[in-house]
Amino acid sequence: MAKILIVDDSALTRRILRRALEPAGHSVVEAEDGARGLERYSMEKPDLVILDMIMPGIEGLEVLARIREINPQARVIISTADIQTSTRAMVREAGASGFINKPVDAESLQKIVGDLLNPVS
Amino acid sequence: MIITAEQKDALLELINIAFGRAAASLSELTGQRVLLNVPRIVICSMKEVREHLENLIQGEVATVHQMFSGPVAGEGILLLDYGGAVLLSGLLSENRVPVDRLDQSDQEVLTEVGNILLNACLGTFGNLLEIHLSFSLPRMQVENLNPLLDSFSVDTEGVRYAMVILTTFSLRDSTVHGYLILVLAVASLDLLVQSLEKLG
Repeated sequence: MAKILIVDDSALTRRILRRALEPAGHSVVEAEDGARGLERYSMEKPDLVILDMIMPGIEGLEVLARIREINPQARVIISTADIQTSTRAMVREAGASGFINKPVDAESLQKIVGDLLNPVS
Repeated sequence: MIITAEQKDALLELINIAFGRAAASLSELTGQRVLLNVPRIVICSMKEVREHLENLIQGEVATVHQMFSGPVAGEGILLLDYGGAVLLSGLLSENRVPVDRLDQSDQEVLTEVGNILLNACLGTFGNLLEIHLSFSLPRMQVENLNPLLDSFSVDTEGVRYAMVILTTFSLRDSTVHGYLILVLAVASLDLLVQSLEKLG
């Protein structure tokens, strides 16, 4: 179906996301921090990115900005433990295509991914 | 610092909501039903934290520390008894062979669990009080309780208060003793209490 890049410093979260995405037929590539995420984005050219907000080194919103410089149409979902509505608004303003809270619910994630990959015109 | 009975009731209500969210997150993560007992809150000076904790838990503990900033600022510490931390990590790890000690992989798992639980609690505060909090990278440690309590007594950053939230949660027929300690400067605690009054 689609190639999805997961950028998250937590191996647990990467595993949870992979288990939610692969049964739906997507192929998954991973990066454990922002710098590697940017490398893999350029190398793999994924259809969609799921990006953690707070990571060591380059933080998620900075990674988002750099991905959008490479590709202004990039589809990026921010994944975060931060449940504040103010954070959701901030992430949208920063240009993210979507937002999902941890712990990630597989069904919700598949819906957001599906809506982004196949938007209803 | 004295807070009134009404302020404490409002705080307890806020914490019930926040912990409900945290329990739901833990249940989602572990796939287990999580039963939470009613949290008990103590607000005390940093020096008094010891007397509230030392009779409840001994020996090694697993802690996740996370700084938060904004109109209310401080440090959140999730503290788990060591056995509970091993149980929790075991439920979330791919290698299900029972272990007695936490390895690096377990520590990484617990860091993420701590991140999710602390955010569930503090983020609920932010939403209900209509303030925005920013969070640092969480940091996990395995440490002995006594040195941790000793570090609280040395209050080098001015007068700070601790909001100690004591609860236990049960999953898979085991009880995990979990405590959340929010360390706040006086000004932040004042603002938190004032914001609560506006909710009422």
